[in-house]
This record gives sequence, structure tokens and C-alpha cells, in this order.
Amino acid sequence: MEGAALDRQRSVLIVDHSEETREVLQTALQRRGLQTFSASRAGPGLELARRHHPDLIVLDLELDQANPEDLSAPFAEQSRTDHTALVMLGTVRRDRAGMPEGEFVAKPYHYGPLIRRIEELLDTMPESFGPGA
Amino acid sequence: MPSLFVIRGNDQGTRFELEDNTLRLGRDASSGIQIHDTEVSRQHAEIRRVDRDFAIRDLHSSNGTFVNGQRVERHRLSSGDHVQVGSTLMLYTGPSDGPEEDLAETISIATVQQTEDHSQIIHSVTEEEGSRIFEPGSEFLQNPWLARARSNLQVMYRTALAVSHTLDIDQLLHRIMELIFEWVDADRGCIMLADPPSKTLVPTVRRTRSGIRGDKRITISKTILDYVTERNEGVLTSDARQDERFDAAASIVQMGVREAICVPMRGRYDVVGAIYIDTSTPPQDVFRRGGTNKFTEDHLKLMVAIAHQAALAVEDTRYYSAMVQAERLAAIGQTVATLSHHIKNILQGIRGGSYLIELGLTEHDESVVDKGWKIVEKNQNKISTLVMDMLTFSKEREPDLATANVNQVVGDVIELMQARADELDVELHWQPDPAMPDLVFDPEGLHRAVLNVVTNGVDAAGEREGSGRTAVRSAYSAEKAMVQITVEDNGPGIPPDQIDQLFSPFVSTKKSRGTGLGLPVSQKILSEHGGRILVRSTPERGSRFILELPAVMPQPDTHATG
Repeated sequence: MEGAALDRQRSVLIVDHSEETREVLQTALQRRGLQTFSASRAGPGLELARRHHPDLIVLDLELDQANPEDLSAPFAEQSRTDHTALVMLGTVRRDRAGMPEGEFVAKPYHYGPLIRRIEELLDTMPESFGPGA
Repeated sequence: MPSLFVIRGNDQGTRFELEDNTLRLGRDASSGIQIHDTEVSRQHAEIRRVDRDFAIRDLHSSNGTFVNGQRVERHRLSSGDHVQVGSTLMLYTGPSDGPEEDLAETISIATVQQTEDHSQIIHSVTEEEGSRIFEPGSEFLQNPWLARARSNLQVMYRTALAVSHTLDIDQLLHRIMELIFEWVDADRGCIMLADPPSKTLVPTVRRTRSGIRGDKRITISKTILDYVTERNEGVLTSDARQDERFDAAASIVQMGVREAICVPMRGRYDVVGAIYIDTSTPPQDVFRRGGTNKFTEDHLKLMVAIAHQAALAVEDTRYYSAMVQAERLAAIGQTVATLSHHIKNILQGIRGGSYLIELGLTEHDESVVDKGWKIVEKNQNKISTLVMDMLTFSKEREPDLATANVNQVVGDVIELMQARADELDVELHWQPDPAMPDLVFDPEGLHRAVLNVVTNGVDAAGEREGSGRTAVRSAYSAEKAMVQITVEDNGPGIPPDQIDQLFSPFVSTKKSRGTGLGLPVSQKILSEHGGRILVRSTPERGSRFILELPAVMPQPDTHATG
């Protein structure tokens, strides 16, 4: 929405099994001038991330039948490669080594604060790291 | 699977399955086997797989690791070993022996013609007669030793019977007491059980021979009780003065003689209590018989044996109840976890819908309000389904019978499920039997039953990522007076070890999506109709559910009320 962000449209990838969550996030984020991609499964989600290099990934940790740790690992790696932010919905077990870097939002969450946080993260991201730049 | 089962301590009733090759045992939360016992070190011991069995190694713990009562540094465990750390006692069960052979192959029951064995029955004994082996035949009466041995054996036989048929400790102890009174000439008796945490003995059963006068109160010397429970030995006592220096006769004339037997109830793991009996001989009898010997060493020995039997039964009963209790708690935990997860998801949906409504109102965009409202509505339905499922499951109900057509009911379900099938990219196929007549059943109930099974079928087929297919067909058989609704999917199938749990409530394999109520509810509805659900599943190939419903024709003259 701000002028600085206009030279390249920022994008968010939403990977969540719930159609409702995807719809709510997409609607809200698109109204803020963000481009969105969405997937209901980890595999196609990862593919979208590799193809479009979104600036931020929202990942539901209760996808498929996988446990949250295994699920988040490839996304965490992708976000490291692309220098993009990762917001995970749900929790992982604390005692596991190699907890993925990123933000955790415990369920059930409120959409208002979640969307504000997504915007903040996008705003503080260094422009030059955007892969499209 | 090899396991450690906690039979005493704060974690009583917990079973630790030894899945990994190496497991830490300790108080620390990161331990694979976490023991809630302050006498256990944070990292107390390590359990490591050795071939098929496991070995335990003490990790320099403060209070040591004990196997079968011996302190060990390292010990290879074998089935039945007792492992003690702090005040926690565990029972090790090893892997089952060897690959399971089919006993049917090694033992065959043959008809006479098939076998070379020409055995004949030469004598037969009924169960009732078997118990009479203890009745002394006349030829034995002359031999007092044999007669006594027989009588002792009979007491043990009856004790074994008494302890083998109960899960009620009080009842069990009363029976034991009764048995003792029938067998020995005791005046008073009591059984004390050790209160598990404090180990103090609490009187549990008491009995007085009818017609016994005198002191109602049984006073037992603490010294004797301590001796019995600590040293694990039974004692026979008498207050007759043994010491020649006393004038024995004088004291007996006043008081008579009191004899008592006190034995420990020693089980497999611990002393669980004590049994005490006593008898008084009045002064005149002492003189007439020239002494007292109502209680003999034989009585003592037999009492020790009886007490041991009783203790084993008490322990078994306690561990059994602890296990049942632990399982019940686990089931409640599972139920609450599954339900709260499901409710949490619904709440999440409602929050999403409300957020969109709010957004739409602020920005005066009706289309967003509309979107939000649809989401809220959908989640209202979810809550309503959940509540209906819970109600259906929790109470006994009669099907609400009406005349309807199964094809219509299933067709409605298919229509309802089409959206979900599209979302998951699943081809939903429906093949109704054109010859399906109108029948009497509970249409709403059947709708719910079919809906749950079709939902599962579509969800399972959805795992196929694009090539999923769920086929539903109905079939009516006039001959069998039966309707079959078959739901077949090409999903990943159900692992054989989960088939048994398929109809257990609140056990969902669908993780975030399932309430664990779907199939149990479907099954309940079908069985209320006198029908059933058949399942066949091949891992990697898919599953087939058949809902069988008895076909009840409507009465031609009267319409069933609906």
C-alpha cells in the first residue's frame, strides 16, 4: 500500500489445509495490495514457493499427516534460501533440536493480529533481498 | 513389544513401551522413560537393546538401580524381572518368544478314522469328583500323618479356589478369614492390609467365633507385627509362662492361656499385610488336657502358605485395578484431546468468518461480508453435526422410522459431498440400484451414517492427489431382504493394526479433520436398525465399507409414522 512497496508487488504464500483459512487470509491480504498464492498441501505449497519466491510464507503446521517438525523443515530451508519470512500456525515440540527459524502463532489465533504481524514482517524486510529485485 | 510396567510408585499403571534402541530413564522431562519420583536421579539409568532383549545400565544415580532386589551397575533384563529405581517398581516384559507359530498346524484334532492312535477311555472323573481327592478314604484314617497331610492339602486347594475368582479385595479377604475359621479352632481373627503410601497396617477384616465371650477388642503387640512384616516370618505365640521360675500354674489358673498366630501376607513384590488369629483356652481345660496345643507348627506353616496366596491375589487385584484406572484416564484424555482439537478448528473458522464480516462492514463491501457469513454458517453446521454425533453416540435411542427410499437418502449425501470432493479433486461416483423399493427405516439416521462413511471415503481418496476416486452404490436383494450401500475409495487404505480401533469412539486417524465419532456413530445407527458395517481395506489400494440394512417393507394398509 505504501509507495515504497509499489515498485514490486509483494507476495505471500499460504499453505493451509483449511479452505476457510486460505480464503480469509487471501481476501484480507489481497485488499492490502499483496499478491497471494495458496496450496492445501505441503508438496504443491513447496513447489509454489520454489517457483514464485514469495516474500513471506504462512504455513499451517497441521498439514497432511506429517508431524510439524518434518513438515516445516523444507519450508524453513526454502525461506533461508530466499531470505523470506516464515510464519507458522501451530506449535512444534520445544525439546526437538533444530527448531525451524521463524515465527510461531499458536492456534486458535485471531486474524487481526496475524495480518498485522504479516504486514510488519513484510515492511521490515530489506528490499534488496527480494529475489525479484 | 517389550515394556516396563510400573507396578508401584507415582506412575503406577503406566506402561513404557521400549520402542527405541536406547532409552534414558530418569526424572528429567526429556527422558524416554520419565519417572515421577523424587528418589530417582534426573538421568538415572539407560536402557539399551541387546539383540532382542534389553539391558539396563545405571548412570551413577544417587540411589542406585535394583533388579530383583539386587543393586546392579549393568544387567541384562529377562521377562519378569523387577526393576526398582527410587521407590518406583517396574516389571519388565520381554519380546514374545520367537516367531508366532500357528498352533493349529502342530496340534490337530483328528477323528478316530484318521488316526493311528487306538487309545480308549478307561476311566473318567468329573470336576466335582476331582475336588474330593482330599477326602480321606477309610484306609488312610489309621495313618494320622497322611490324614493331616490330606487335610492340609484340602485347605490349600480351597484357598486357591477362594482367591481365584474375585476382583474385590474385601470380599476376597472375608472368604479367606472364613476358610481359616472353618479349618482351625480360632476364637478371633483379623486381616490387616498395609496402606500403600504410609505402609501402616490398617485392619480390614475381623471375625470372632460366635459364642465367644470376653474382650471384643483385639490387641496385637506391635513388636510382633513389626517382627512379622519386617522379617517376613510367621510367628506362633503363647502367653503360657515357659519360664520355670514363674509359678506357671498360678498364672494359668487366673488367665487361662492365649495362643496366637500372626503371619505376613507376602506377595511377589512386597508385604501387603498380615493375618492374625488367636484362641484362648480356659484354665480348667488347660489342666484337663495337661497343656495347650490348639495351635501347632503345622497350623503356622499352613497359615503362611494361605497368607501368601491371599497376598498374591491382593496384588493382582490392585495392579489390575490400577491398570484399568490408567486405561480409563488415557481414554478420557484421548477423548478430550480429540474433541478440543475439533472444536478449536471450528472456533478458528468462526473467527475467520467474523474477521471477514468485520472487514467487509468497515470497507462497506458486501461481497466480503457475504464471504465471511458463509464461513460462519458452515462452522455452525459443523458444531451442530458434532453435537448431533455426540448425542447419537451417548444415548440409547430408537430409530425414528418412516417410509423412504435409500437411493434418495444416499443421493442427498452425494450431492452434499460433491463440494468437498471437488475441493479435494476426487471423482465421486454414484450408482443407485434402479430396483430399490421404498422401505421403512430412519432416513435421518441413515443419512448421518452414510454421510460419515462417504466423508471418510472422499477424504481418503483425496490423499491420492488428483487421481482420487470414491464410488458409492446401492443394491437391494429381495431374496435376503437386505440393502447394501457400498462405499469404495482408492485411498491409502487402513493399516491392519488400526482396523480394530476403527469403530472405537474418539480415535481418529484423520488428525486435524476427524472427531473420531464418525464411524462409531454410523455403526451405532446401523445396529439400531439391526444392520452392520463391513470393512475391507488393503493398504496402498483403498478401502471398502459396506453398510448392511435389513429391508423392511412398508405395511400396505398403514403408513409408518415418521
